Amino acid sequence: MNKNDALILQSAELSPQAAQWSRTFDYLIIVVGAFLVWSVTYISQLLLAGDWDFFIDWKDRQYWVLITPTVTMMMAAGFQAIFWKLFRLPIGATASLLLFLVGVWIVRYHSWYGMAYFPLSLVIPGTCLMSAIALDAILVLSRSWLITGMMGGVLYGLLFYPSNWVAIAGYFQPVEYMGTMTSVADLIGYVFPRSGTPEYIRIIERGTLRTFADHAIWVSAFFSGFLCVFSYYIFWFIGSFACNPKFFAVGSRFKSAYGSKPATAGEVA
Amino acid sequence: MKRMVNRWLVCLLTASGLFTASTSLFTASGLFFALAPLPAAAHGERATEPYIRTRTVHWYDVTWTSDAIGVNDTVTVEGKFRLFSDWPDAASRPELVFLSNGSPGAVMTRVESYISDIPAQQSAKGLKIGKDYSFKLIMKGRVPGKWHLHPVLNVHGAGAIVGPGAWIEVTGNQSDFTQPVTTMTGVKIDDIQTYGVARAQMWHFGYFLLGLFWLLWWLRRPLIIPRWLVTLKGREDLLITKADDKMAAAVLVTVLLVVIIGYKQTVKEFPYVVPLQAGFVKIPEPPSVPEAATIDVKSAVYDVPGRSLRMDVVITNTTDRPLRVGEFMTAQLRFINKDLKAAVDSIDPSFPKDLLAGAGLKVSSDSPIAPGESRSMSLDATDAAWEVERLVSFLSNVDSRVGGLVFFYDDQGKRHMSEIAGAVLPVFTQIQKAASQQATGT
Repeated sequence: MNKNDALILQSAELSPQAAQWSRTFDYLIIVVGAFLVWSVTYISQLLLAGDWDFFIDWKDRQYWVLITPTVTMMMAAGFQAIFWKLFRLPIGATASLLLFLVGVWIVRYHSWYGMAYFPLSLVIPGTCLMSAIALDAILVLSRSWLITGMMGGVLYGLLFYPSNWVAIAGYFQPVEYMGTMTSVADLIGYVFPRSGTPEYIRIIERGTLRTFADHAIWVSAFFSGFLCVFSYYIFWFIGSFACNPKFFAVGSRFKSAYGSKPATAGEVA
Repeated sequence: MKRMVNRWLVCLLTASGLFTASTSLFTASGLFFALAPLPAAAHGERATEPYIRTRTVHWYDVTWTSDAIGVNDTVTVEGKFRLFSDWPDAASRPELVFLSNGSPGAVMTRVESYISDIPAQQSAKGLKIGKDYSFKLIMKGRVPGKWHLHPVLNVHGAGAIVGPGAWIEVTGNQSDFTQPVTTMTGVKIDDIQTYGVARAQMWHFGYFLLGLFWLLWWLRRPLIIPRWLVTLKGREDLLITKADDKMAAAVLVTVLLVVIIGYKQTVKEFPYVVPLQAGFVKIPEPPSVPEAATIDVKSAVYDVPGRSLRMDVVITNTTDRPLRVGEFMTAQLRFINKDLKAAVDSIDPSFPKDLLAGAGLKVSSDSPIAPGESRSMSLDATDAAWEVERLVSFLSNVDSRVGGLVFFYDDQGKRHMSEIAGAVLPVFTQIQKAASQQATGT
């Protein structure tokens, strides 16, 4: 424990014993909180980004780059608001995306590879972890959700594509297969069949985002950053709302069922 | 009164406790099955409603080149399908389709696929209702086991329409499976099922370490209760220090440097890349094949307890040869007229036995229908397979019609084909009999 930690405990007016117990509580809450953050992030990603992040042959230049950061930003901003407002801990976004990355790899191994025999090359996940770390760092430096939303939001969307391209670029090399040019990613999607996911179900490379010469990716990345700003503010407010505990008063009859003495309670009241 | 209320409350709480305990048990058992990877075996081939399976895509002449292959060996499934003229309104028309295969996961890999001899690597357009198309799927063994292999035509808006399935036994060792490919720039990829995985994991692990470092930087200090109390007191200066500012700046710069340098290096490493290919193939319209006979369905009833489809029809021979009814086929079920040798001989040995109705097809007037002749007759297709294949849920269907293909054989043994379709009435014979007996007092 350094000098600053001692000052924190002193300011909190915790006795040494209470401080010790609070540390035990910290360890417990880290485990419980990790599962909570993990599952909530995972479910939201599953529901809203779904196939774009499941399969390598869905990771297109337009929608994957647009949708994945916008969706992951939701829980990143929500948890960042909760951790920051209650505890001044700038870890919400990082925790959300780091735990999601761990979880998603577990599921890739367990379910996709273990249960459905899909090769891992088909189900390489994307990650917004670098974007999330940057978002938390900007919150520390700015101490402001407004600036974090504006600067961090744009950066969050912009960093997503290059931070993932380093991992998946190889899948976009051209190959010739059955007389047509295709990418390695397309080929993997074709070779390893998904009975319930026909090729036409992919929503890729559609729309007008490619109008900036041939640079569809960076147009999408900038637009993604733009959307992330709104996504951040909306979910920051939802997270802030979640920080305000609400409770309903219960009557004496309910209390008595749990062994309290309504008469005594009434006297005290 | 108070005691009674307390009793009720205790009962309520006990019930809540039991509910919570049972829910926990259920969750725990679910968790157990979730954590233990159990491979999938079924793939829902009988799940689609009968009105889709009997009146959309009719697969025929389907063959499998082998029922046992080794890992890395191939099996070819080929045949034809007819896009049925009486296509139900409740299912989208086949304007955009994808030829696939039904099997439990990627136990076999797809080497090649064709519709009308045109490579069908991508989705296809241009198919017309009422036409026949050939198809071919070349599959390669990957995971040892006994797997059900179907051709599947995915129709946009209507879902997967599954063809007949045969059991294929794959032997050998999965670790021997490879799928090499050479890119157009000359890069040799030994196996696309593992290609790039280690690279992605390396980058993700690096990101993970940076994220973990950031978390530990904060989690190592007094956390929840002290920080909450200090936050309430407004002493933010104690919670975010100058050292934290420096660390945040350093981490931010690190993130930017890693991403920018990493990206630039990667672009250099892979100078030629292509986007995902989003096109489709256009299938030309095949020439029309005239129907051998017109079939007018006068009535069709499905006898529920008897598991029998009885159709009263008027068949008009439009060819110049005498014809006999050889087979009625619907939803992959084949009812063969066993009195006609040419029909019996048409069964390929590789065709699944469970899709051949044991009793076959009973034809009331089995003598040859002369050219131009119209003849009334009844066709009786009886078999438990109607139930087994889940083809009898007429009461729950939005479109109570039945359809199929009828195969005729002329005096030279040549096969001809016609469509048959009409409304079907489920008949609960036993119930009707009982009601009739009650009415007459017998």
